[in-house]
Amino acid sequence: MNRKILSFLFLIGCLAGPAHLRAQQNATDDLIKSLQARVKRYPEDHAGYAALGAAYLQKGRETADAADYELAKGALEKSLDLVSNDPSAAFATTQMAVLCMVEHRFEDALAWSQKALALGSGDPSPWAIAGDALADLGDYKGAAGAYTRLKSAYGSEDEKLAYSYQRDSRMSFLRFVAGDTQGAIELMRSAVRTAIETHMPTENIAWSQYQLGEELFLAGETNVAENAYLASLENCPGYYRALAGLAKVRVSQGRYLDGVKLYNQAIAKVPYPEYAAALGDIYRQLGQLDDAKKQYDLVEFIAYLGRINRQIHNRDLALFYADHDVKLSESLALARNELEVRRDIYTWDVLAWSLLKNEKLQEANEAISQALEQGTKDPQLFFHAGMIYEKLGNFLKAQEYLRRALEMNPEFHVTYAETARQALDHINQRQSQVSAREVGNAH
Amino acid sequence: MKAFHLAVLSLFVASIVCAQAPRDAATPAQQKISWAEAAIKAHPDKSQPYNDLALAYVQRVRESADPSYYLQAEAALRKSFQITPDNLEGQKVRLMISLGRGEFAEALSLAKALNKRTPDDVLLYGFIADAAIALGDYREAEAAAQWMLDMRPGNVPGLLRGATLRRLYGDVRGAKDFFSQAYQQMAPTQTEELAWTLTQMADLQLSTGDIDGAEQLLRSAVQQFPGYYATIEGLAKVQTARQHYSEAVDLLRQRNQSFPTATSRYALAQALERAGQSTEADVAYRDFVTSARALIDASDNANAELISYYLGRGQNPIEALRIARLEIAGRHDVSTLDAYAWALCVNAQYGGAQKQIAAALAVGVREARFFYHAGVIATRLHDDASAARYFKQSIELNPSSDNAAAAREALQQLVPTSAAARGEK
Repeated sequence: MNRKILSFLFLIGCLAGPAHLRAQQNATDDLIKSLQARVKRYPEDHAGYAALGAAYLQKGRETADAADYELAKGALEKSLDLVSNDPSAAFATTQMAVLCMVEHRFEDALAWSQKALALGSGDPSPWAIAGDALADLGDYKGAAGAYTRLKSAYGSEDEKLAYSYQRDSRMSFLRFVAGDTQGAIELMRSAVRTAIETHMPTENIAWSQYQLGEELFLAGETNVAENAYLASLENCPGYYRALAGLAKVRVSQGRYLDGVKLYNQAIAKVPYPEYAAALGDIYRQLGQLDDAKKQYDLVEFIAYLGRINRQIHNRDLALFYADHDVKLSESLALARNELEVRRDIYTWDVLAWSLLKNEKLQEANEAISQALEQGTKDPQLFFHAGMIYEKLGNFLKAQEYLRRALEMNPEFHVTYAETARQALDHINQRQSQVSAREVGNAH
Repeated sequence: MKAFHLAVLSLFVASIVCAQAPRDAATPAQQKISWAEAAIKAHPDKSQPYNDLALAYVQRVRESADPSYYLQAEAALRKSFQITPDNLEGQKVRLMISLGRGEFAEALSLAKALNKRTPDDVLLYGFIADAAIALGDYREAEAAAQWMLDMRPGNVPGLLRGATLRRLYGDVRGAKDFFSQAYQQMAPTQTEELAWTLTQMADLQLSTGDIDGAEQLLRSAVQQFPGYYATIEGLAKVQTARQHYSEAVDLLRQRNQSFPTATSRYALAQALERAGQSTEADVAYRDFVTSARALIDASDNANAELISYYLGRGQNPIEALRIARLEIAGRHDVSTLDAYAWALCVNAQYGGAQKQIAAALAVGVREARFFYHAGVIATRLHDDASAARYFKQSIELNPSSDNAAAAREALQQLVPTSAAARGEK
């Protein structure tokens, strides 16, 4: 499961607060304009600056343009210059934590969220960010503890339901990491229901449905995942995450051209390196090597575009290089750097994969053990583990993990599903030969 | 404040989930000092990092009882005001310093002025409440605390002020509820604040005679913030309530190893005396008197303890009354009213004493000591029925209070005409 989903989660968590921040994508520009006018008229209005910062964050989420994050930072700093030691500063402080999460500064995000909590505003939202940061830092127990506190005895029933939505959707991810995929799916279904019943912004509903689709896809329930992605797109037409999710489904169904079309649509909305990489892989599968190269070039271009992108896409790029057997030492350096700031299972997984590609097998073994430690059932993790164990000569474990990857979702990846099958066949044949030899020797 | 109607949350402190353990050995204030210093390095032209530094020093005072941090806070504030004159956040820290030093009238005046300028700042109402509570203007304090809770329901500073007021109004259950709500919202990293709140809750428990409950809360506080002077003082009170005076002495000696106050010196002297260590007690009382008398005219004084000393061991009721008059000239909180009433009583000015203790009890406060004093004053005024009622209230409220034995004895000695009031057949 791609951890960007969680990045989106924390944003929703915070933006589900004040009503004016529930603006839909197409209204964000209007919101920014009105807030700019407000702070121009009232330059001492700390709440106005905080709201403007949050609006820029929303805009950044919609466009993935790093410049919006810089603007958000400026507005939030201004707000906190005006008022920082008061419960009313909790919103701006929490948004600073959100910004740190966006920029993958997880320790800072944790510190800001704790600062927001220390203001004692009565709003438990900072627990969401604290939990998200802890999850990215690999402290899943701490994250669960933080999410548990996402509730409030105050406020309206709708507000309480909003907290329950935030809690369920986040706990769903933790359940998934803990290997309880069905439990994760159930919690996500509950979050979707809450989002719909409480008339949350359509984008939030769409995200929940997309997230449900992701969990279902990973569980191998491709058809149900397809429905979830379609529901998401129905709620929020052109929603890039759902487009990419549906693209994955189409590819797994062998409908490559549909996949190409959907990925292109998603990239046109928000050019994420992982989408370009996935699209390149489809082109390669189709034998369109020039088109594939264009997408692969795009991956690097996006990942190196500006300071923030270089921070955000470290891990994506490390995985991309390792996946495509290019710039392997750079892949390893990126993965190691990422581990400095992010110690979740997926960073361990990418590091393990990169170590394998760099022929550092013992280290890869240690890293994949960390990645598997929580018991997460993810075909990608199992595939990487299988390939590492094969190289290590531990064929029994290799067999087990490759089989598990394919059992979960026989088409979990456009190319790696086939790689897994071939590796498994190879091991099976090898073992048959060994058995035959042993029988021969016995006679 | 009495009319607050919020859901009652249980007081199961142990069940509160710890989302994350403290990630650093430094105290919260020390961490904030480091962060603020780093921010100053990065942005030396901004006032806010200096305010953050000043605030962290103020918080360090509460963590350590070392008032010299106020000087560092003031130095940081000077830099802040050089950059942005009279900025609000800096003024708020200045207010906190005033409150910490006991300059309540000045603090109230500044808080009101700032509140007029920035009426949507929640903490300014809190500072008004703090100053008004200290000065005994409970109506003003209540109005300010209510504003806080109306502006941001469930905010922690508002709940803590509300809890203090509820206790003063005699609503012990309501005070516990607010403390509990505040506690449950605090992050595990706020170790000093958690310990402080637990210590307050323990003091509340102890005031109702629940020694075990108080000790349990204090043990939790020790875990949260080891070596916290306020918690150690609380534990010493628990040992005193158990009549384990030697243990109380040990605790107070430990507490006084760093930054002892006149108040903590007095507590140690009393504990030594109770433990029968008369020589050490004499020395400790001398230390206390020297340090407390040096502060008589200061805002952050130990006059309450000094009054108590001269009315008892010091055997100088005239000096006690003189000091009590100094105090009552500046503030009318329930403790000052009680101290003044008791000084008047010991000086045989029973009418005046009755008036002052009545004013204290009219607030609604339920403290065993106050009821005992009211009982003695009533006895001197030959109002045996009232005296019996007060003594009974004192004993019932806290059977293990400092005054419980004296209250029992006084009740026994009352003439038979008060038997009805005692509920005897």
